[in-house]
Amino acid sequence: MGGSPGGSIDKGQHEVEDWERLADAINGALGAKGLQSTDELRRAIESLENYRDLSYYERWVAATEKLLVEKGVLSSDEIDERTAEIERRWDGP
Amino acid sequence: MTFEPGARVRVLPSEKPGHVRTPAYLKGKVGWVESLIGEFPNPEELAYGHSGLPERPLYKVGFRQTDLWQDYIGPAEDFLYADIYEHWLEPERGTT
Repeated sequence: MGGSPGGSIDKGQHEVEDWERLADAINGALGAKGLQSTDELRRAIESLENYRDLSYYERWVAATEKLLVEKGVLSSDEIDERTAEIERRWDGP
Repeated sequence: MTFEPGARVRVLPSEKPGHVRTPAYLKGKVGWVESLIGEFPNPEELAYGHSGLPERPLYKVGFRQTDLWQDYIGPAEDFLYADIYEHWLEPERGTT
């Protein structure tokens, strides 16, 4: 980040996955509703402790969660409960 | 303070914490004002949900690549241009 050495560049192409499109769409929707700006997202991304372990859209998702909790739009508990619910459905019978 | 095109400027070597839009590799480096891009809300304030007002002048600033990177092996006339806000610039009066 900010000019620090980043190693070699992966120039390979990859298909955009559905959850990545969704992450992009959520960011657009939050921006349209005035709940999140590009500058805030950048700031939140930079402050992720596990920044280097995450992919591009994983950073978007983690930073969006951080901002929504920070602004009181959602609570961590609400997000965790909903995530657990979806995981149960995913594992389903 | 306003810079005219051609003015020699140094990027402040500030370690200001938080979100800044000035690349770390340009801090302390000397370049020249290529042009005024316009005035915009300060992204350092927008990043924390503030208005970012008053708007800050943003300049296109040119640097010699040989001034930025040790052991740069490209031509001496290779330039790098970056968008730098006025509050990150100070006049550079020295000669090189």
